[in-house]
Order: sequence, then C-alpha cells, then structure tokens
Amino acid sequence: MALAIETKGLTKDYRSPLKEPGLWGGVKSLFDRKYKDTRAVDGVSFSIEEGELVGFLGANGAGKTTTLKMLSGLLTPTAGTATALGHVPWKREPSFQRTISLVMGQRSQLWWEIPAYETFKLNQAIYGLSDADFRRHLDELVELLELGEHLAVPVKKLSLGQRMRCELAAALLHRPRLLLLDEPTIGLDVVMQKNVREFIKAYNKRSGATIMLTSHNMTDVVELCKRVIVIEKGRLLYDGALDRLVERYADHKILRARFTTDVEPDDLKSLGSVVKYEDRTVTLEVPRAKMAASAAALLGSYPVADLNVEEVAIDDIVRRLFTHAA
Amino acid sequence: MNTYWVAYQIALQETLQRRSTLIMDRLGGFAVVVSLYAFWTALIGDKATFLGYTRGEMLTYVLALNVLRSFVFTGRGWQLVGEISSGKISSYLIRPLHYYGYALALDMAQKTVHVAASIVEVTLLALLVQGELFLPSDPATWLLFGAAVLLSSLIFFFLEFMISSLAFWTSESGGPLFCFELFLQFAAGAFFPLDVLPLALRRILEMTPFPYMVFFPVRIFLEKVPPAEALSLIGMQALWLAAVFTAAMMVWKRGVSSYSAEGG
Repeated sequence: MALAIETKGLTKDYRSPLKEPGLWGGVKSLFDRKYKDTRAVDGVSFSIEEGELVGFLGANGAGKTTTLKMLSGLLTPTAGTATALGHVPWKREPSFQRTISLVMGQRSQLWWEIPAYETFKLNQAIYGLSDADFRRHLDELVELLELGEHLAVPVKKLSLGQRMRCELAAALLHRPRLLLLDEPTIGLDVVMQKNVREFIKAYNKRSGATIMLTSHNMTDVVELCKRVIVIEKGRLLYDGALDRLVERYADHKILRARFTTDVEPDDLKSLGSVVKYEDRTVTLEVPRAKMAASAAALLGSYPVADLNVEEVAIDDIVRRLFTHAA
Repeated sequence: MNTYWVAYQIALQETLQRRSTLIMDRLGGFAVVVSLYAFWTALIGDKATFLGYTRGEMLTYVLALNVLRSFVFTGRGWQLVGEISSGKISSYLIRPLHYYGYALALDMAQKTVHVAASIVEVTLLALLVQGELFLPSDPATWLLFGAAVLLSSLIFFFLEFMISSLAFWTSESGGPLFCFELFLQFAAGAFFPLDVLPLALRRILEMTPFPYMVFFPVRIFLEKVPPAEALSLIGMQALWLAAVFTAAMMVWKRGVSSYSAEGG
C-alpha cells in the first residue's frame, strides 16, 4: 500500500515576544523586544498508509495541532521533512490542496449570515467540481449527516451541532483523500458526538480516505482508531495499535471488593494503592504480578461479599500518560 | 474565474442580508455629503466662483464624492485584519484560491450595492438643488471618468490590502489601517478639492497615489482638464496601480510566509 503521510524528524519552533509584567515592562518591550523560542514539535517521524484512520493523542500543547498544520501546509517546519499524498504540503500546490481537508472544531469556514448551501457552492467553484459531482457528493453528505432542512437556514441560526455537521460537509464536498480532523466533536452533545463518529467511520470506509484525528474525547479514539500516535511535549511517545498501548502502559489491574461490614481502608494499603473507598466497597490498583497474592489476602482476612478484577480502561491509560507527561 | 464570480454573488447576497449595517453605512456617508454640501454653500455665498469652482461645480464635486466614496473607499481591509488576527485566514490558505482575488470579488459585491444606493441618494439630492449641477455633455468625458474611477478603486483596494497585511506581523494592525484611512480621505480630496491647499503641499501630494483616487477623477468629470491631460492622468493611475499591486503582493507573500513560520 502507498503511503499517505510520511514525516522524518519534523520539528517546529515558535518564536513569541517576551514581555515583562506591568506598564514599565510594556514600555521596555517597545524598544528592546526579547523573544523566546518554544519547540512545539520535536523531531517527529511516522508514516501512515493510505486509507488508515489514525488517532493523534497528546495533552494540550503537546504539538498535535501544530503537526496537523504542517501536514496541511499551513505551517513551514523549522527542520525535518514531510510528504502528504506525495507532495510537500507547505509548497501549497493547488493539485495538493484539492485533495486534502483540515477541519478545526473551533474554526469555521462557513459564511455566517447566509445558508451553508452558499458556502458549498463556493467550494464547488474553488475545487472545480462539475455540477453532477457536486450534486452527487452533496446528496451523499446530506444523507449521512442528516443535513436536510439545515441547508437553507443562515448559518448563524444553526445550533453548534448542526453547524459542525455543515462544517464537515463543506470540508468533504471535494472528497479529500486526506482528512485532518482537529477535535471534530468538541462542544457537541453526546448524541451528536456519536453521529459525527459514525460519519467519520463511514466516510473512511466508503471513500478509502486517510484520516488523522485529534480528540480529547477518548470515546472518539477508542471507537474509531485501531492505531494511535501519542506525542508528549512535541516528541513521539508511542506509535502503534491502541490495544498494545494498554499492555505497555497498564502495569496494573483494578481490584474491586465489596465487604459485608465496614473496613478501615488504611489497612488495605499493603495490598495495592487505594483509589476509592465508599459504601463498603474498595477500589484498588494492584500491580499485575501481585494480583493473585492480593486477591487471596483480601479473601482470607476480610469479610468479602463480592470481588472482581478488571483491566484498566483505555481512556484511563491515556489520561495517565498525559498527566504523567505533564 | 468562476470561483470569483460565485464569491461575488454570495457576497452580494450577504451584503443585502446585513440590512441594518448597510443602512447605517449609507446614513453615515449621506451625513458627510449633506454637511459638506451645507459647508460649501455657506462658503460660496453669493460669489460666482470660489477657488476656481462655480457653485454648480462645487456642488457637483460634493455629490460626486458620495458616489466615489461608495465605489473607491469600500475595501476589505478590516475583514482581512480580522481574519488574520483570528486565524480564519488559515481556512483560505489551505484551499486552492488566491485570497486577493477572492477579497476583490467580495469588494466588488459591496461596491455594487453601495454605488446603487449612492446613485439613489445623489439623485434625490440633485432634485433638491435643482439644475445647478454640472453634468458633462461629452460622452468621452463619461468614458474617461469611468476608466479613472475603476483604476482609483483598484489602487485603493491594493493599497488597503497591503496595509491590512501588516496584521501578519502585529496584532495591532488596526492602528495603521485607521491612520491610513483618515489620511487618505484628506490627501485624496474626499473632504475638499485639493486646489484649496497651498501649492507646495499640493505638489507633494501629487507625487503620491492619493490625488489619483478622488481629486483627479472628479476633475476629469468636471472637464477641468483637457482630454489629452485626462489620458495622461489615467496613464499615471495605471502606473500607480501596477506599483501598488506589486508592493501589495510582496507584502502579502512575506506576510503569509511569516504566518507559516510563526504559527497560525
């Protein structure tokens, strides 16, 4: 299979002016401005095959959006190389731009005062779609995203969820072969999040497009992505199957026990770390190797009514990865 | 080309959609014209000519200003500044599109609506002052005037585009744009004919593109310049346009690459 994206040592520094606090600091910075370089992305290398749907994870400020901006051609890297669909993105060649799309959950390309349909017409012209293709693509998107009556309403009158769906439609009208999604479900309610997720999955299947998405919503990632790339402070931390992330980073399991009488939670510390104790139920994090011994000790010395052992949830692992990183 | 035609049509709809903004804009412009009109009427008084202008010519100058303001001084500068500072510009930069062509299409749409409105306003005012206006009888004058106004508006567009592009480097580029617009109105002759100014100052201004944006086109309309001179003024406009366009594209390109370097 051909590669959709390949980056080698991709690096991006931002330069921002430093200002000392207060009025005097402001005056000083008028004459003697000092700058600070911040490395947002630091030597990141990965490759993605055509048709893959990859989750791109990291804490706030880890460098996810910066990477997506480089891959879409908005930013020029400080060092390193990248190719996307065989092009160097930041050359901004029209033949490249016609095959990609970048959707940022908090930014809009829609015209505010008039119905979304007009923005679609503009995109038809920009991407040079024939009337027949435009109709066909639009009908499909209207159906998948349940846009129907929303197309004729001025965008400013739409709810956030309706607007986000129109935003996706505007970004996909030209059938991009590479789709970069930055927080596509941000601000949406649970039902809408689910709809958008299903849509992304369907689009990936139907069109065979390569999709890279960032999200703080773990459900998005768990339901959509088999593979994840995790970055931390601009550096690649993990690249591989989502399942393996669990094995690698979850060195413990969860042991939950309900007692028939009250127990002093401090006494349980020797068995594992106590996460929670309420309603006579304790939740313990126990290292994998110690699990059998801890369970046996619990059953032998305490009035246990019920006991179970669970794997750590993926989102907990990722969250831990981030808090650990921060 | 099709892209820009569609953008024009959409922008036309949008301008009409924002009715209250449109009405406010028109009222503001109308107030300027009415006050200039009152001002000049008072100054001229009973005199036959004033600073080389007859009463009718001066009043025509003022009314022509209303049309010219609508056609020349309606750029997309503030929108560009806003889209750069908010980062919305990104959504254009990743599409196969020339932003300046797009902005020009939007600008033309806005001009269409404003010129139509200003013609209605001027007709109303002309009816009120009854017969005192100067209307050229030679069709060639109208043709020259039309060409001059088109060039003026393009000069303004690219000049404003260039200054607005400063927003790529500073978050406070509203300042330069505001100063530019104020100075422009004065230096272009949008408050008064530049003949009013001392000769030395006028000579200096004539070395800038500003008088070519309002003062000279109106003089062509008033047949204050012979056709041959009118043609050479239009030639100068074309040169200014080429210079301003080149400069604007340079600033824009550097701006975009700095935006790409600094982060969007």
